[in-house]
Amino acid sequence: MAARAFQRLPSAPAGRILVLRLAAIVLSLFIIAGVLALSGHSPVTLAELILRSTLGSRFGLEDLALFMCPLLLTGAAVTVCGTIGLWNIGAEGQFYAGAIAATGVALGMHGPAPAVLPVMTIAGILGGMAWITVPTLARAYAGVNEIITTLLLNFIASLLTYYLTTGPWRDRISGAQVSTQRLPVAIPEMWGIVHWGFPVAIVIVIGLALVLSRTRWGYEIRIGGANPEAARYAGIPVRLRIISVMLLSGGLAGLAGMFEVAGTVHRLQGGMANNFGYLGIVVAVLARGSCLNVIPAALLMALILDSGIVMQTQQLSASVVLAITGLILFMIAIGDELAHYRPVASTTPKGKAS
Amino acid sequence: MIALLTGMLATAVLAGGVLALAALGEVLAERAGVTNLGVEGLMALGAVTAVMTVSSIPSPWIGLLVAGLVGAAGGMVFAFGAVVMRANQVLCGLATTFMGLGLSTALGHNYAGQPVATTFGHVTVPLLSSIPVIGPALFGQNILIVPIYVLLPALVHFVMFRTRHGLNMRAVGENPAAADAAGIPVMAMRFWYVTLGGAMAGLAGGYLTLTYVPVWSEGMVAGRGWIALALVIFAGYRPVIVTLSALLFGLVTALSFVGQAHNWPIDPAFLNMLPYLGTMAFIIVPVVVWHRMRRVMAAPAALALPYYRDVR
Repeated sequence: MAARAFQRLPSAPAGRILVLRLAAIVLSLFIIAGVLALSGHSPVTLAELILRSTLGSRFGLEDLALFMCPLLLTGAAVTVCGTIGLWNIGAEGQFYAGAIAATGVALGMHGPAPAVLPVMTIAGILGGMAWITVPTLARAYAGVNEIITTLLLNFIASLLTYYLTTGPWRDRISGAQVSTQRLPVAIPEMWGIVHWGFPVAIVIVIGLALVLSRTRWGYEIRIGGANPEAARYAGIPVRLRIISVMLLSGGLAGLAGMFEVAGTVHRLQGGMANNFGYLGIVVAVLARGSCLNVIPAALLMALILDSGIVMQTQQLSASVVLAITGLILFMIAIGDELAHYRPVASTTPKGKAS
Repeated sequence: MIALLTGMLATAVLAGGVLALAALGEVLAERAGVTNLGVEGLMALGAVTAVMTVSSIPSPWIGLLVAGLVGAAGGMVFAFGAVVMRANQVLCGLATTFMGLGLSTALGHNYAGQPVATTFGHVTVPLLSSIPVIGPALFGQNILIVPIYVLLPALVHFVMFRTRHGLNMRAVGENPAAADAAGIPVMAMRFWYVTLGGAMAGLAGGYLTLTYVPVWSEGMVAGRGWIALALVIFAGYRPVIVTLSALLFGLVTALSFVGQAHNWPIDPAFLNMLPYLGTMAFIIVPVVVWHRMRRVMAAPAALALPYYRDVR
């Protein structure tokens, strides 16, 4: 009887999703608070500290914007891929590839910043695109699962970064470990330590939203994702669209790497991707396939990362943030599914419902 | 040459065991129609809990048991989301990996970098271990090699393809609506096979720290869970082939060790890329070269699709 009292809708209303997501986040926070209390930390003091040092301070807000910048781009990278029904789990690797290509330009090209930065930007985008080329072609022409191939390349990119930063490009000036020297050029700063990459990332995300919703190309991508058979029947070259979307996705993640290396870190470093690629998946999920939603989603994710800094000062390891992100993602996945259910009058005739 | 071959095979068998266990578990889950992308995280949890257990109870068996139980618990958490609540399997899997990796690092903080207290020692089977080349690899290492490479795959193969229960389980993965109509409990079947798969991922993690790499460090699972997922696709969801491909994969890993030991003029970073490059080649090349492969090795028809009895 109980199973008959709910009806599953094909698509969930946005309002219901919002309510259930808030419930999911609150529930996650309660679980986290419980675990923290059990391990001898006071959740209330910690929450107070986190609020004061993230939203309540200039430095916290600057860090928030710096965290948001790569998350906006990796989140958009995963979102555009998702529009055509594919998962790019390799934004982390494309991020490194973009950072490596941009660093190569910065170290090899001598000139004034206004000349070097555009070349670095193009190199970063091309680096990210190059990194997703093999998964793209394998997906488009042989139907090979892109989740696994994009992901495996993350490990290779991370090893390549390690090789470059300990070998040919190692820091010979200050001797920093697993790092190149400080790059000669940097993206100019606009507000404290926040560089111009941040507004550019926001503009890119808004532009993508317009392209996806207002152009023929965007329309074909959305149809290709919603119903590949119908798209093919309507004469949309689905294979070409898959290739263009995946390359765009790789380029966005590569640009995130370029911004990070030229605007925030100023060096190529092992581990500098900081899970931004993987967290881009979380951002994309929160955004539910809409590029405009990427902005608030990246803000939420950046808040979590920003709180992570505070937690580290309280003897909680950085990995706790990853676990917390996982828990929130898990709860939201369940919440999104529950949002599809609508209570119906339990007087439904029995035979009809099954 | 013989010595080199013997050594390489021994390393390959040892390294491949981690993948064989995890991939066999994933075959069970995927044949029942559920993709568990949480393997990487469950392996990390198994690896760290095995280390923690043997540091207070000096028995590798109990360590392995705890790793398996923790893996099963993690598998149940995933299955609660992906099977019972029918939430998106990709998301639940990624979330499980995040939680597993994060928790394992937090738990293992005080154990990082220390040698594991008790590990599975060498067991040499008389006579069998003196077979040239394969003897030392199969019968001259730890006691888990034969169960992992022979007993478990044989058992899974028999149950899956020779029993009614196995037929039912595969039906759940191919056509859950038909299976449901035939009276097979779809949700229970999926839930318990995902849990079993999680337990085997946990065991794989325990095997990793109790035999092959006896020290816990953050990120030590290093993508082996993802490689195991790729092997399942490569092997066309078949238990015996997946075990053999894990061994093949172990050989690729062994090659990078041999390269480092013999000072090949390649940077170790590139040799360390071999397993990942090898996996890429494993899943791309066969499909490109031989198009029929796509149909022969096809995934279960209802893989990663939640089953709704009430929605048509």
